[in-house]
Amino acid sequence: MNAWTRMICRILVVLMAWTPFQIAQAGMIGTDQVVTSSSSADRSTLLNFVGRSDVASQLQTFGIDPATAKDRVAAMTDEEVQSLAGKINAMPAGADTAGLLLVVAVIVLIWWVVTKR
Amino acid sequence: MLQGFSALRSARLTAGVFVLAAALSGCAGLFPQTAQLAEEGPPQGAPREVELTQVPFFPQVEYQCGPAALATALANFGVKVTPDDLVSQVYLPERKGSLQVEMLAAARRRGMVSYVLAPRFADLLREIAAGNPVVVLIDQGIGPLEYWHYAVAMGYDYDYGQLILRSGETERRLIPFALYEFMWKKSGYWAMVALPPQRVPATADETRWLAAIAAFERVGDARGARTAYASFLARWPDNVNAAIGLANAHYALKELPQAEQVLRRAASRAPDSVIVLNNLAQTLSDQGRDEDALPLIERAVAAGGPFAAAARETREQILGRLAKKTR
Repeated sequence: MNAWTRMICRILVVLMAWTPFQIAQAGMIGTDQVVTSSSSADRSTLLNFVGRSDVASQLQTFGIDPATAKDRVAAMTDEEVQSLAGKINAMPAGADTAGLLLVVAVIVLIWWVVTKR
Repeated sequence: MLQGFSALRSARLTAGVFVLAAALSGCAGLFPQTAQLAEEGPPQGAPREVELTQVPFFPQVEYQCGPAALATALANFGVKVTPDDLVSQVYLPERKGSLQVEMLAAARRRGMVSYVLAPRFADLLREIAAGNPVVVLIDQGIGPLEYWHYAVAMGYDYDYGQLILRSGETERRLIPFALYEFMWKKSGYWAMVALPPQRVPATADETRWLAAIAAFERVGDARGARTAYASFLARWPDNVNAAIGLANAHYALKELPQAEQVLRRAASRAPDSVIVLNNLAQTLSDQGRDEDALPLIERAVAAGGPFAAAARETREQILGRLAKKTR
């Protein structure tokens, strides 16, 4: 009896470990798979799985709570996730409260006047 | 020498025009697109002067130009949203700003299809002329000093060479084309529109617009996706991938006969597409017509390719259902 239980447990463990990576399944093939090139669908799905949790935890380090970070990543495409993974710090983050424009305008103007003559 | 920007010769020599003059008289390298625009005239189909005055204005609160710009673009099409609602979706407190990718993603969560424009000044003007306010990313800093800022371009005056934007705390900011390009160039001319699913951008590229709709579909609004794919097919009726998308949206909404109809039309155009065959077989099987589905899925399996594994799984399922029936 005990041996049976242990056996079943083992099978379940194996199945649970295996399930998330079983990509091909019966049913409709999704549009996002069609539109993005999918020659290596399995590999990119696995990479994506890692990429998404990676980007979500990065967002958390920038002050977002875990649940919100997960939602935000969920709205991104695979490519977008890949473009962010490991690079958020180097990306431009639009923020400025205007103001510097005038300085830029004046400097550009002066520069042009000087270089023109 | 120049047909465009006739105001150059007029009495109103604004700073903008002056900068422009410099740009055009031999130093065009710094403002290549402005120079090109001046030479070629307003883009095809775009009037000389446009201002989308109905575009709402949300004055920016500290650093939050991302939420403010996005709310402006969304509310223009009737989405009930304020910058505050978007802070938790696009703002990064530790960076005191918003990432481009998140601007795109957040628009999808509000039922809009977001699309990055091709990096062309003419395309920016064409979208405005078509009634689509454009969210742009510009750098207001100099050299190594970066001051990234989102604004919404919602008008222009070609003859005066000025762009009109909702920006920060300014409801109607006028920036000369050349100066604007100077600031815009550093973001790689980044610009996006966020449109309701029935609209197609004036400058839409077939492949990239389809990818934008697929990204929108991913977020889970099947009704919106259905509308977006239908509008896409009205413009590009031969696109098989869009038909697959439309059928998937129908399928998600449990409209199986409609999904079947769309897929049959796609199958007549692309008889060997594994995806069309697989999805059509699945749709038939779900309507209890496994006998009709079987020959289709056999063809899909025989065709092979990257989706062969999925097709084999579908065949197993159909065979299983058939076996159950005969028992």
